Order: sequence, then C-alpha cells, then structure tokens
Amino acid sequence: MTRTADVVIIGGGVNGLACAYNLAKRGMQNIVVLERGYIGIGATGRCGAGIRQQWGLEENIILARESVRIFEQLSDEIGFNIFFRQGGYLILIFDEEEYQLVSKTIPLQNDLGVPTKMLTPGEIGDFVPGVNLDGLLGGAYCPTDGTAYPYAVLWGYGEAAKRRGVDIRVKTEVLSVSHHRDSGYEVVTADDTFRTPRIVNVAGAYTKNIAAMLGIDIPTQPHRHEIAVTESLKSFLEPMIISITKGFYFSQSLRGEIVGGIGDDNETPSFSTDSSPDFLFRYAASLRQTLPALGNVRIIRQWAGLYDMSPDARPIIGTVDDIEGYYHACGFSGHGFMLSPVVSQLLSELITTGSTSLPIDSLNLRRFSQGDLVKDPYVVG
Amino acid sequence: MAKKILCHCEDVETEELYSALRQGYGDLETLKRYTGIGTGKCQGKCCFIQTLRLLHDMVTRTGGMEREATGPKDLMIDPDDIRVPTLRPPVLPLRIKDIVEGERGEP
Repeated sequence: MTRTADVVIIGGGVNGLACAYNLAKRGMQNIVVLERGYIGIGATGRCGAGIRQQWGLEENIILARESVRIFEQLSDEIGFNIFFRQGGYLILIFDEEEYQLVSKTIPLQNDLGVPTKMLTPGEIGDFVPGVNLDGLLGGAYCPTDGTAYPYAVLWGYGEAAKRRGVDIRVKTEVLSVSHHRDSGYEVVTADDTFRTPRIVNVAGAYTKNIAAMLGIDIPTQPHRHEIAVTESLKSFLEPMIISITKGFYFSQSLRGEIVGGIGDDNETPSFSTDSSPDFLFRYAASLRQTLPALGNVRIIRQWAGLYDMSPDARPIIGTVDDIEGYYHACGFSGHGFMLSPVVSQLLSELITTGSTSLPIDSLNLRRFSQGDLVKDPYVVG
Repeated sequence: MAKKILCHCEDVETEELYSALRQGYGDLETLKRYTGIGTGKCQGKCCFIQTLRLLHDMVTRTGGMEREATGPKDLMIDPDDIRVPTLRPPVLPLRIKDIVEGERGEP
C-alpha cells in the first residue's frame, strides 16, 4: 500500500528515535520511523553507555557539553528513567606525550565550561580503591561525565515520540529508496511504500548503504567493537575508567556489573558482530592489569557492535549539497550514543527551520572532498 | 496471589513479564533487556525455557489452527517473536584471573 509521510526516518536507533521525538516536539506531523529489527538491535543497544565531554576539538567538546545538559533533565522531559549517572570519566595516563596533550587540552575544556582537572597518581589511588598505580603519570577527571542505560534512552525517546503521534515500525526493512524531482522520495518496504518530501538517514553503519541507493557516497567503514560484562558487585567504582593509548574503558553499571571493552588495531572493516575469544583475553588482561582485585570476578557475557568509522573519526551530520530533502547523521566512530540528544535536536532544527543553534558546517559530508581532515586525538579504541 | 519467580538470578517475577508485555515490549530480545531475565549468572539457561512456555501459552493460533490461549486473557503474541535470544559466550562464567592465566587451546 502506498502511504504519504512528511518525513521518513530510516533507523530506529537512538538518533532516529530522538530525531522523531524532537521533530514531533517542534510540531511536525506524519513522522514515520523504519527499523528493520527490534528497537536497539544496532549500535545503540550494543554500546558501552558512556557519556563524556573530554574531547580534544572544540566542536566535539561543545556538542558533548550540550548533550550532557540534555541528558541531565531527559528522564523528566520524556517521562522515562534513563538511569543517567554522573560518576565522571577518569582518563588514566601512562604516556608522557599523552600527559602533555591532555594538560594542554584541559584549559580549553575548562574555557568551554567542562570542569576537567588533572589528578595525581596519589589522588587516583584514593579515588579508585585498588587501582594499579604502576607507570601511571596522572589522570584527567571530569565529574559531570557519566553513563546512561542505552535501552532506556531508546524506549524513553520512542514512547515519548509515540505519544506525539510518531509511527514507529519495527521489523520493517527498507528495500529501496529513490528520489524523484517532482514527487520527492519513495521508500519501499515489504508492506508499504512511503512517499515523502524528506528523509533522515540514521541507520548507523548501514547509513552508507541507504545513501548509496541515492547515489551518495559516504566514506565510512563498519568496525566491530566488542564488550564484556561481569557478574554484579557491590557498588565501589564511581567513574568510568578509560585509557586513550591502551584503548580500553570500563565502568560499573547501576546493577553493579563491570561493563567495558578494548579496541583492536588489527580489526578490519566488516559487518560482523561475532564474539571473539581474542577480545576476551585482551580485555581480561587489561582489567586485571588496571584493577588487580578484579581477577577474582567472573565475566558472564560478551557481545559486539559496529562503530561507523569516518576517515577523521568525527561524525557526518547535516544535508548533502545539491540533494533536496535529504538529511543524515552517521560516522559517529563510537560516540553516537553520547552525542545523540544534541545531534537529534540540531537535525530537527535543520529540518524544520533550515538552520541550527550550534554550528555543524564543519561536520558536513563535503569536508572529505576538500581535504585537510582534522582528527580528534581523544578517540579511544 | 502468590509471587511466581521467573528469573532466579535477577529476581524477576512472572507478573513483571506480563507487565512488560502489556506495555508493548513484545519480543524476547526486548523482554530480556526490559525485565532483566536471562542477564544474570545463568545467562538464561534456567529462565528462557520458562519464559518461552509462558509466551507460548498466549498463542491463539498455531500451524493454521485456532487454539485456546491459557495465558492472561489480555495478552497476545506473534508466534514469530517466540524465540530464544542470541546466546553469547562464555558458556559458563569465567574468572578474569583464569582467562588471563589459563592456557589457550586450539578452537
């Protein structure tokens, strides 16, 4: 059956559902969200749940800071407990060059309103009981960073969107998308074909596949990233612990589990979400190295999800030159969940007014054809 | 009515499963993440089979035949949604120390 919509959002992850909610909140009607699996089957539901403002580029710091402001009141706004907890992020530093870089970046973060400070190894020992201080030069700590339960954020945005009339369809794969000068977009699924003047392409690592149907080339690559969770422990770990150079991160969830992962420099691009024993060995080793007492704790489950890696590890957000009614947000390179509240808000501003309250021009797709890519040095994993 | 425990590891009652279904969390992958069933130490080895039975009790049609549902009267489920969630390694909980110090055999 052929239906019409004012906007079709492709992807029922956090960016899709939050965008639907924000568009509905701004008064838009006839909003359809298409998700090929269940809500959360993609990267959002598989992510490490971290929310941090400690970045190296001003653009990322500002986006993350604004995201945290939204997260702080999001449970109230959408009427759903997202289990947001500001335990802070502690970046452990083992490398002299990294120490210099972080020391230089903290004043920039502070100027932008992010209250990061450098802790000495002694202060870290007091703050994180049992942490291994060997080789530790210090740690950058921002107390307003934190975590939220990704599924609760999805369900919360989804239910708030539904209450505003958004049509969210699960188990509905987009089979094809085409653009016609006069009649706009035609989005074909097994049950229905949607005609719409605009689409929002937020399909995670599959965004480039959808874009390719419209002749748009997005230079992102899917990279598998693995995570493991331990049995629940009594609450003892306040911050998320990460290392940029070693590529690991872990935090304690509100259920008491230690949840974390470690990157793999040898990972080649693929859509695989298989679990590997290699990850389990490397991650277990990094956990015991960092917090030796965890040696006696059991790992109960591991899984994998996809980072949608862009060439400069910065997101690709906005419109595409010369293509009317097309919007996308992708290439988050592992940081899509933490940025989603602000990104979805900016996308909804762009769609309804044509402009955004924060500058996103530097994140446009066209930067890849202009050269001079700048990478954020704070990318982990 | 007496409480019926569905997931012993995470202390989830049968009524919580029904409540989640009433709120529209309708497939087992989602029910697992909403209620916590199968996310504890046994990783679903004890509770998923019970959950599948409870979901099956709600099915009103199977193999093209009508059947009488024996579950709560207000709950229905798509038989396609009755499947075990993805099982993930390790098969049994593993101590971090044992993973690090253990010898790695051929797969």
